[in-house]
Order: sequence, then C-alpha cells, then structure tokens
Amino acid sequence: MKRKHFLSSFIPLAATFGAVASGKTSFDGDSPVVKPPYLKAGDTVGICCPAGFITIEDIQPALLKLKEWGFTARIGETISKKDFTFGGTDDERLNDLQQMLDDKSIKAILFARGGYGGVRIIDRLNFKKFDRDPKWIIGFSDATVFHSHINVKYRVATIHSKMCNSFPNDWNTAEPVQKETIESINKCLKGERMKYLFTPNEKNRTGIAVGELVGGNLKTLESLAGSPSDIHTKDKILFVEDTGEYLYSIDRMFWNLKRSGKLDKLKGLIIGGFKIKADTPGEEFGKTIEDIVLEKVAEYKYPVCFDFPVGHQKNNFALKCGALHTLGVHLNECRLTEV
Amino acid sequence: MIIKTPPYLKKGDTIGITCPAGYMDAAKAQTCINMLQSWGFDVMVGKTLGSKSKNYFSGTDEERSDELQAMLDDENINAILFGRGGYGMGRIIDKLDFTKFKKNPKWVIGFSDITILHAHLYTKIKVASLHAPMAAAFNEGENEFIQSLHKAIIGKKAKYSCAAHAFNKPGNVTAGLVGGNLCLLAHIIGSPSDINTKNKILFIEDIGEQIYNTDRLLYQLKRSGKLANLAGLIVGGFTDTKDTDRPFGKTVYEAIQEITAEYNYPVAYGFPVSHGKENYALKVGVNYTLKITKAKTQLSE
Repeated sequence: MKRKHFLSSFIPLAATFGAVASGKTSFDGDSPVVKPPYLKAGDTVGICCPAGFITIEDIQPALLKLKEWGFTARIGETISKKDFTFGGTDDERLNDLQQMLDDKSIKAILFARGGYGGVRIIDRLNFKKFDRDPKWIIGFSDATVFHSHINVKYRVATIHSKMCNSFPNDWNTAEPVQKETIESINKCLKGERMKYLFTPNEKNRTGIAVGELVGGNLKTLESLAGSPSDIHTKDKILFVEDTGEYLYSIDRMFWNLKRSGKLDKLKGLIIGGFKIKADTPGEEFGKTIEDIVLEKVAEYKYPVCFDFPVGHQKNNFALKCGALHTLGVHLNECRLTEV
Repeated sequence: MIIKTPPYLKKGDTIGITCPAGYMDAAKAQTCINMLQSWGFDVMVGKTLGSKSKNYFSGTDEERSDELQAMLDDENINAILFGRGGYGMGRIIDKLDFTKFKKNPKWVIGFSDITILHAHLYTKIKVASLHAPMAAAFNEGENEFIQSLHKAIIGKKAKYSCAAHAFNKPGNVTAGLVGGNLCLLAHIIGSPSDINTKNKILFIEDIGEQIYNTDRLLYQLKRSGKLANLAGLIVGGFTDTKDTDRPFGKTVYEAIQEITAEYNYPVAYGFPVSHGKENYALKVGVNYTLKITKAKTQLSE
C-alpha cells in the first residue's frame, strides 16, 4: 500500500523533472518524443500508398516540388498499383511501406493520398528499424492511424500535412494559401520552428497552453479507440478535423472522446475544419460545431479554439505531431508555436 | 458475471413508450399501441412521442432523459418500449440514475441507437434487456418478428432458426448473448458502457454504412480484442450498404469472413437481426445455444 502510494507520487515528479531537464515533452508516463533528423538538400523522400490508389500522373506536381526543394524522390511500387479502392493489395501496400521504413537512405516518407487502408496493415508493419533510425512520416486523414500509432508506441514525431494529391497542378495559378500550405511541408522537413497565426472565432475559450501536439482526423481517432494505436491525450494539445460527416455523427464522436476520458486532462483543444454533410430538411440537428464542442468541454478550463487551418481543405498547414507547442488563444489573435 | 433477468409481463401490465433519441410522429406509433393493447397490456405514452420539438431530436436532452428516468423509476411501468432510434441515447446515458431500476429491473426494448443502453445495462447495471423491433416496426403488421417480441416479454423461450449461409462456420456453443449495432458497439469502446465479449456470443448488424467504414469498424473490434475470444459470432443484416466511387471490392460478409478467418469459433451469417423487417427479439445478457450446421442455424434460449 505504502509502496503503491510512493510510486504514484514519485512517477509524475520524475516525469516532470525529465521534461524540464531535457527540454522535451514527457507527461502521462509517456517517454520524450524523438524528432527524426531534419532533411537537407540531396536527401531522399519516399512516396507510397498505404491506403487509397493513385496514378503516377497524379503525383507529378509533388515530384516537381520535391525536386525544387532539393530532394530526390523514390517512387514506391504502390504508385499506380490498384486493387479496387486500394493502392495495391494489403501485402503490396505493406511491403512498399515496410521497405521505405527500413531503407536508411530514405529520410522521409510522404503518403501519396489517404482514403482507407492504414489500419488494415498497421499491425503487420515492423517498426524495429524505424524505431532505431526514425524518419519523418507525412500525411493526414487515414494517415492519422500512423500518427497515433507512432506517437503512442514509438514516441517519434510525425508530420500531419497535405499529401501528393493536394499539390496544385499549376503552381503559377495556385492560390496563395495552397502555395503556403505546400511550402509549410518543406519548412517542417527542414527543421524550421513552426508558427501559425489564425483568426479568432468569437466562441473561442481564451487561455495559454503548453503541451505536446497530437491529433488528426476525428473519425479515424474514434476508430482507433480501444486498439493498441489509441491516442494518449493527457497533458496534450489535441487537434481534430473531419469531412463529410453529419452533425449528429460529429456529436457522437465527441461523446466518444469525452466518455473514454480523452477530453478531461487536455492542455488545450484545437478544432480544425469540419466539412459537414447537410441534414435532411425538417430533421436539423440544431447545434453548430461550436455548440457541440463547447458543451462537451464546459466543465474543463483549458483553452479551446475553432477554425484552425487544418483539415480537408485548402487551408491545411503542416503540423508536427508529437512536438511541444504553445497555444495562445486571445480575443484579438490566436497562435500556435512550436517550442 | 451474473445478469439479472427482469420479471416477464402478464396481462394488465403497463408498457411505457418513450423516444430517447430521434423525433417520432405520434401517428407512427398508433398501430404499435393498438397491438400492445390487443395483447392485454396497458400503454403509457410519454410526451417525447409526437412532441413539439422542431429539430432532429424528440425533445431536449433534459426532456428525453427526464422522461426515460421517470419510466425507469415508476414501479407501475413494467417495460419500456422505445418509439424509435436515430441518435441521442449517448447524449443522456450518463445522466440516467439506475439505482431504482437495478433494484426493480424491467425490460427495456429497442435496437440501433439503443445498443448503447443495452451495453450499458449489461456492463454497468448487470440487467438483461431486449434487442427487438421498436414502435415503428409494428406498422409492418403482426409478423413473426413482432410476435417474437410478444413471446419474449411474456417469458416464452425463444427458438429461432434460419437458413444456412455458404460462409457459415459450423459449431455448437452455449454462452451469454451480447451485441447490437456495429457502429454503436465500436463507438462505445473505451467508454464506461463498453462490453466485454470474452466467451460470449456476439451479434452484429448495421444500416447505411459504406463498406470501407464497416471494414474499419470490424478492424476496431478486432484490434481492441473484441473478436479474438468469442464463443460464437452471429452476423445479422447489413442493410442499405453503400460503396465508394472506386468499389471496395468486397461485400460486408466477405470482409467479416476475412477478418474472422483466423478464429475457430462458429459463425452464422444472414441471421434475422437487422434494420429490415427481419429482426427477432434477442435478450442481451441471457444464455443462448447457437447451433450451426450445414443445413441451418438455430439460436435457442
């Protein structure tokens, strides 16, 4: 009994001390997050499809940009492979990604697109070599499976960002926000300290938070609940986004977060873009995203912000999952800054 | 774990009807009310049925939870039949107080969104409940599925049988029955209402889901350890299934077959539990014998 008491009071102290001493994030019994080496000119970026399929034509804009950034692209075997909705069979997608994880000459892996399929191969991947020599894993949406899995099991930082299918075909006619968001991937990969300034929403709950940034696609996060890849949110800044869901379904997903204890110990909450499927006329859900979120977190004190530029939208900046960030939600401005 | 079975109903007993989730027009429950009365029961209708609500729900969270709470606590109400599902039980489940209900349990009847309540009663309150047709289904007439609900509430032991399916894995097991709507079963994982499926017969059904999403839900059950140690699996109807522009390439049943291929327990496909007309009353938390042969599937209490 005494020993138990001693241990429980000792562990958080040690963890806090460790965090301060190393300058890295370490809470909730989670070990510090390791950032893979940043990339320099001449480094190789692998491109593969762990989920949906893509053609070689569709990755041309991304190839062009990677070259411009000074990187060499390695095109995986799953590019242009097609097994119904998937970029190859489970085995083909698994092998392609496994090779890229293990190949020391590949410094980052950019997923060509999302869709569905990550969870079908995640438990068959061997992260042993990746764990020893981590590299940047880049993507979002279905790739949330990888962000969460790698954060929880390997404590390695990853990049939540646009993928090959979002690089504009014609850079010259692309909107400024498209260019900026694509360039943010380059900045992330080259080790720039990330900063995001965004417009306040009148429903925001002000405050300042420091914590490890975790999150991704809400539906995907819910589908990981109970699994070995289930996200840890204690003492973290959580960001979520989603697309093509009904309001009732979004409400249900936030209940899942709340009822499974994922909202009560946050440092801060960031709500990105939510593309909502319209309700049947006469059966309106009657609540906005802001209502849905604020109702769930009313009893907690941490800052909450809406309209953060992350999601299935043009305004989707690269975020370093696992890295320590400061979130400042103020009446006149909102900032997220990598520490 | 011992699950308490509520008392069965006798003529003159009262059944309460309430809508804990989506809005329901009162007219759509009239056939149900008439039929319950013809079976010899009194019916007490809550204000959430045919309410003045102007949005999706049958009332505010407070109105819905207050009414359900009153029906749970009222000793003169011997069973609660939900008008319909939709979405909403999850919003009020943690507000409900089951203290009186636990002392004097009664049958609560429904499916779909009600899966949360079935699971919650099973895991937290340890009381059996009925996964069965709700008020709207009575409009189909008194078919064998509506009759199965009648038999269930008066305590006649069920013996269901359905045709064999090519994917079936034969076997004969006796175990506690748990389950419901797949989407809701996945949704409650990690919450206090989550169910332990070890050594249980699990039944699943769903409606209107994309095949890829059903595949993902099944992976969630598998990866959270809910499929590995089952006594048996009953696959009901997956109605109104949708597919992506680029086809998924498998049917739902093929996806289930693939995901459960490594397990040795018996699996029955095509069992009449669904959002369609075919929806036998099943007692969650009660022991059943599942017998799957090459000729047919039988599920007996």
